Amino acid sequence: MKKKQVIEKRKIICGLAVVLLVAAVGMIPNVYSLRVISLALIYSISAFGLLLMLGMGGQMVFSAVAFMGIGAYTTANLCSGRLGFYLNGTWAILISIVLGGLMAFLFGLPLLRLKGTFFTFATIGIVQIFYTFFLNYVPLFGGPAGISGIRTLSILGFSLDSYVKWFYFLAVVAILVMLILNRARNTQFGRRLAAIRDNEIAANVLGVNVYWTRVKAFTISGMLGGLSGSLLAMMAKYIAADNFSWTRASTFVIMAMLGGVNSAPGIVLGSIIITVLPEVMRGLDRYLMFLYGIMVILLMILMPMGLSGLVSGLAKRWRRKRQARRER
Amino acid sequence: MGQVLELKQVCKKFGGVVTAQDISMSIGAGEIHGLIGPNGAGKTTLINLISGITEADSGEIWFEGKNVTKLPAFKRGRLGIGRTFQVPRFLNNSSVWDNLMLGMDLRSQVGDLKSYFGIPKVDLEAELEPLMEAAGFELRWDDEIGSLPFGQLKLLEIVRAMLAKPKVLLVDEPAAGLNSMEIDRVSTLLNMAAKEQGIAVLLIEHRMDLVVDICKTLHVLVFGKLIAQGEPEQVTALPEVIEAYLGRDDDDQD
Repeated sequence: MKKKQVIEKRKIICGLAVVLLVAAVGMIPNVYSLRVISLALIYSISAFGLLLMLGMGGQMVFSAVAFMGIGAYTTANLCSGRLGFYLNGTWAILISIVLGGLMAFLFGLPLLRLKGTFFTFATIGIVQIFYTFFLNYVPLFGGPAGISGIRTLSILGFSLDSYVKWFYFLAVVAILVMLILNRARNTQFGRRLAAIRDNEIAANVLGVNVYWTRVKAFTISGMLGGLSGSLLAMMAKYIAADNFSWTRASTFVIMAMLGGVNSAPGIVLGSIIITVLPEVMRGLDRYLMFLYGIMVILLMILMPMGLSGLVSGLAKRWRRKRQARRER
Repeated sequence: MGQVLELKQVCKKFGGVVTAQDISMSIGAGEIHGLIGPNGAGKTTLINLISGITEADSGEIWFEGKNVTKLPAFKRGRLGIGRTFQVPRFLNNSSVWDNLMLGMDLRSQVGDLKSYFGIPKVDLEAELEPLMEAAGFELRWDDEIGSLPFGQLKLLEIVRAMLAKPKVLLVDEPAAGLNSMEIDRVSTLLNMAAKEQGIAVLLIEHRMDLVVDICKTLHVLVFGKLIAQGEPEQVTALPEVIEAYLGRDDDDQD
């Protein structure tokens, strides 16, 4: 009973802190900064797919970017008038989510029979296949020129016509997705994913259909990719294949590693850092990838569970110390 | 009386090594059977065959009048074949609560989506109370599973399997590495499973005192072959069993 109250209290404090933080960031007068942070939020939604697959399910994947591309090009086609009509943005988001999920499902169905590392390799293939189509197939994807003139999202007549509005909207969406995923952690689905990650034989004995659970998780990660791609298209108003290349795929992995693969807030933080970094380092672009490389190596040595792992480790140590003091 | 679990001439070879040869046995509801034999006799292999971790080369495994020989492990788990392992298998990065909830998930058998919205409502704590009383220690929910001592893990794995309400429970060396007090708890739990819940229990164990104490029937496995089956007192008195399992006492030879 007492423990529940403590948790409730903690929840309220965290909620308030998040609201304040979002409000404070929204006050940033520099529109360009807000755009960069909004972009980071969009990326983090895609990276949540990695949270589900790698953090919760123990399966490394690179494919987030491919499903993000599906979502982005779906929305681009539906909302730029290049098909002869403009679809309402809300519908475009829904269709993008469904198509992203469907693609993930169709690829996952045969490929998730593969074990661990081999599936990881297969996801590299998925990225390359889609990238090639995005870059070269003009009728659907606009070819190297990409697709421009995408209308911004408007919800029930309220148009997201500034980056401030986009930022607030994306913050709400990202938080919603985070809450949905965090709830999953404490349900049968989350436990079964964890069982597959930690002990596949035990999972089997406990009635977990390993293959099907992985297909479900991969499909959801595809839906998250679709959502984030759709938002990207409508916010940026222009998309091209470069957004969905192998380089981009690897930055997603770095975001997740930096923040901590099993923590949603960590992933948001990671994607903000990785998205802001190139802006801060303007002029040093040439060294960016070099820096990423060094960073990844240092991360793996110093904090393999990322920033969130560092924080939770410190919190645990502090709690233990406090407990020890009380017992004394 | 209907047999819950029945093996009919089950065979398994690994390369040239025969680990199960024409194994036939059956266990009824509420009975505890012991499976004994020297190291490498194929005892764990037999449990793996029954639970579906490995597939039999030939022969049939029947569960509640259903041929499950070709079913994958997770389906056998859902039907009601539960088991534990020599070295307990838990989710090492998860809390005690999550680990035990997996047992409840297996029992409730609802889809992931339904369970996402909290259907059905499960009361793990109420279900656990009698089991933990039998296991003889208390749990703290926030504890990570890795922080529990080995003996508690062994007992907790039996508890987790029992939470799923199985019809058959295969227990692989539950007493290995445990002190005598913990071994008493093992026998309390297994007796509870058989007598109160009517579970058919197959117990692999080297501790003869425990086996003789709680088993109704013993099966003796040597080099993948069952060399004797019957009541504990009779089986342990058979000369071939003594020779193969308990070891020949050379002093008596001449």
